[in-house]
Amino acid sequence: MPGELGAARILVPTGIRRGDVIDVRALVEHPMATGLFRDPEGKPIPAHFINDVSVMYGDQEAAHFVWTSGVSRDPFVEFSLRADREAALTFTWKDNKGGVFTQTVDITFVA
Amino acid sequence: MGNWVAIGKLAGRVGASYSCDRMSGLSRRSFLHASGLAFLALAARRLAALVRPRPADDVPWKVQQVLKQLFGDRPIQAGHVQLDVPTVAADGRVVPVMIESDLPMSPDGYVKAIHLLVDNNPDIHLAGFRLTPQIGQAFVSTRIKMRMTSPVRAIVETSDGALWSAAADVGVTVNGCG
Repeated sequence: MPGELGAARILVPTGIRRGDVIDVRALVEHPMATGLFRDPEGKPIPAHFINDVSVMYGDQEAAHFVWTSGVSRDPFVEFSLRADREAALTFTWKDNKGGVFTQTVDITFVA
Repeated sequence: MGNWVAIGKLAGRVGASYSCDRMSGLSRRSFLHASGLAFLALAARRLAALVRPRPADDVPWKVQQVLKQLFGDRPIQAGHVQLDVPTVAADGRVVPVMIESDLPMSPDGYVKAIHLLVDNNPDIHLAGFRLTPQIGQAFVSTRIKMRMTSPVRAIVETSDGALWSAAADVGVTVNGCG
């Protein structure tokens, strides 16, 4: 559900042909709290951020990101991918409190 | 002319009261010469600073430590990296960053990792993006937080261990880190 912790969207273009280098965009809803801010009552907000992102293309890891709390709230990332086979593209976001969020999109080719 | 004499006397008295031998040994003429030269030197420095508004060029010690930890003593060369950041970011909570490299992404030579560093952030090494040849083009775009005006550095590591970099200064008006 949008607005929920870990709600994620992956956007890939339509009409992919075999061998295309496509743009992949992914966004996950997460506070990415640095631990340096305080809430209105003055209590520190504990650090809560995604520090590990894995991108699996089929059964192979295509990319792996190591993040800190310096990445903005609801972290967004865009990168390229050589679409040379029809397979699932799976993102796994892990945060420092043990939260794991995944989202999958299928890479399919136009006929 | 009377004024000059007074200044000379004053200079002499200051020199004497602090028993600074070099100062009291100065004649009025050489004192004026020296102060003129000093003024010129300062003006030249100010001018140089105006001509070169790029603190991104010199790497602060704390950043050097982070680089050493990441890459050891391997040399980092400028080039092959295009870093696209705003010159002024109104909101430090969301600063768009785009890093691109013209280096190839083939199995026998590819960009292994893209590192993003922000000098004045609590976490200097903000993010690392490890890539494989499956990523057809060395390109990453994301949005980051910045505490204050700071150089932003992108360092690209190739599969054979070479390091390429680019840096740019980003002005920040609203603190995004707390």
